[in-house]
Amino acid sequence: MTHDAMGATTESPSSIILPEQVAAPTVPPVHSDPAPTPTPAPAPAIAVIAKDPIHWGRIGLVTAAYLGSLIAFGVVVATKGADPFSVYHTMVKSTILNGGSLQQTVLRAIPIALAALAVTIPARAGLVNVGGEGQLIMGAVAATGIGVALGGHVAGPISWVAMAVAGALAGAVWAGISGILRTALNANEAVTTLLLNFIANDVMLYLIYQPWKDPHGSGQPQSRPLAHAAVLPRLFGSQLNIGLVAAAVVAVGTWYALQRTGWGFALRVVGGNREAARRAGLRVNRLLLSSMLAGGALAGLGGALNLAGVETQLRPDVTVTFGYVAFLASYLGRHDPLKVVAAALLFSAIALSGNGLQLTNGLDGAIVDVLLGLIVLAPLVMAKKRGRAT
Amino acid sequence: MNGIEQTLIGGVEGGTAILLPALGELIGERAGVVNLGTEGCMLGGALAAFAAAAVTHSALLGVGAGFVVGAAFGGLHGWMTVRRHADQLASGLVVWFLALGLTSVFGTSYISRVVNPLPVLKIPGLGSIPWVGPILFDHDILVYAGYVLVAAIWLAFYRTRAGLVLRATGERPEVVAAAGGHPQLVQLAAVAVGSGLAGVGGAQLSVGYVGNWFNDMTSGYGFVAVAVVLFAAWRPIRVLGGAYLFGIALAAASVLQAHGVAVNQYLLDALPYLITLIALVAFARRGSSEAPEGLARALAQSG
Repeated sequence: MTHDAMGATTESPSSIILPEQVAAPTVPPVHSDPAPTPTPAPAPAIAVIAKDPIHWGRIGLVTAAYLGSLIAFGVVVATKGADPFSVYHTMVKSTILNGGSLQQTVLRAIPIALAALAVTIPARAGLVNVGGEGQLIMGAVAATGIGVALGGHVAGPISWVAMAVAGALAGAVWAGISGILRTALNANEAVTTLLLNFIANDVMLYLIYQPWKDPHGSGQPQSRPLAHAAVLPRLFGSQLNIGLVAAAVVAVGTWYALQRTGWGFALRVVGGNREAARRAGLRVNRLLLSSMLAGGALAGLGGALNLAGVETQLRPDVTVTFGYVAFLASYLGRHDPLKVVAAALLFSAIALSGNGLQLTNGLDGAIVDVLLGLIVLAPLVMAKKRGRAT
Repeated sequence: MNGIEQTLIGGVEGGTAILLPALGELIGERAGVVNLGTEGCMLGGALAAFAAAAVTHSALLGVGAGFVVGAAFGGLHGWMTVRRHADQLASGLVVWFLALGLTSVFGTSYISRVVNPLPVLKIPGLGSIPWVGPILFDHDILVYAGYVLVAAIWLAFYRTRAGLVLRATGERPEVVAAAGGHPQLVQLAAVAVGSGLAGVGGAQLSVGYVGNWFNDMTSGYGFVAVAVVLFAAWRPIRVLGGAYLFGIALAAASVLQAHGVAVNQYLLDALPYLITLIALVAFARRGSSEAPEGLARALAQSG
């Protein structure tokens, strides 16, 4: 135990120069693989493992951890009187085996993936954005405001672009508040983004219960619907819409910006060692703020695309915890943009399967939150002392 | 009873539901572990307390159940972060998600059920003082537990050896280990006990202040508790002030509505979070330098 405690504290927050590497007689360059040693060295990140000779034992352990999560979820549903096998069957069948549901899974993945990338970008610079929920909401709010105001007066494409831009701006502003509070006043961004989620939700509820309330709506209050022309057009008669194309372009752009540009590299340097970055002449605060703004813009865009393409009007549950699901997706994808998008697709499927479980197996739809938590728990528990995503 | 008095009474009562989790979070953070799962521990504690009170007809047994379930969720967080070195913030959110899912699944049968809430105990003598009495000395037992805990934690932190070891663990675990202590055990215990208090805070909602159970009933109070510890700069007395500030803001929102102030309910609902945010920002610069070193390190590695 003593050894563990010591190990935990000697671990450097820097991913640039690890103490182990300094101590080793042959210091490997930063980007090469750490030499495999027989000592019980801290398990490296999965991203690093992928380049190492394959560690079958470790892969076995990680697989076992995921299986353990699935079994644990099976136990939970069993205590509610459902047959675990039937539950998993429903989940697979209702999300990917049927063309229509598969399209729904992809559609719902748009806001999750964009909000997850909104976690990924600041994470590169060492910031924690837990505000995806609020940024999604503000994006949807801004898109509704612009979309309803423009109504049917302008051509569709103008509305679409205006809503997307407004959503991205609103998301950027919302995340930017936490960014400025962090850089100017040193307020912890994980906590401020969290608090802003609740404020965003109350702002949205205020709007749909009062000034924006649809006078023709019945039952649950909601905003006026978008004009038909303002709704994002579908792709080739499918349920998918052009928001998917926009999201895909933005996701690839994010990958490019993070992996192939000086900005992306600078963020990683800042995230690795802030002091070293400052001494190297990087404008640390400006980079930190830019990562929050960029992230917030992505999440806001996600909220806007979801509203303009799927929801078409603001209602109280418009985000249904997608912002938090996105946070977990970014961790599951280890802040690697492509893996993060894959994780978002998986989580979209799981979140969507709640409906199927409710209908087919008589379970409360919220039970999928348990599975989401368990699936992220597995890699968290197995990634003992992981490094940063590269 | 005027509006201000009503607000202060409600502030102490509702503030206790923040105070207990915040004191729990304070213990954990002083040992070097931040727990965003406080929200989940509260939620789990709230349902456990309500269910136990519904079954046993004893709200006090409910409080006990709240502690146990909160500590169980906290134990998971402690195991993940201390033993498995998982990212503290991500682990906390995982715990919250598990609690959110489990409580909505297992809580459905308790929605709209009625339990005997915690009785109000008016303290003889003190409770009869005009103004001060009703505000401070005419509440359920958990409110008084909050007073006692603040004093006890202050004494334990600064006047006992155990408190010294706890604080040292949060600053430099290697020093504690070198002195023959067991920093990991200290952290596990601190997180479990702290989360137990979060569970009791949930109980204060479900069998005390609010008096029923509904899904996601903690609505972010656990996150507020984490924020309170931050802007209180890890000091027990300031935690008390911060928690009551949030409680007063909550109570003010409902008192204003009851008095027919023509402000939208949802804008008033945002007020407590906004005040917490402002307080956090106002104290951020001074507070962060007082963070336990181990905590700062753990957070720097996050992401």
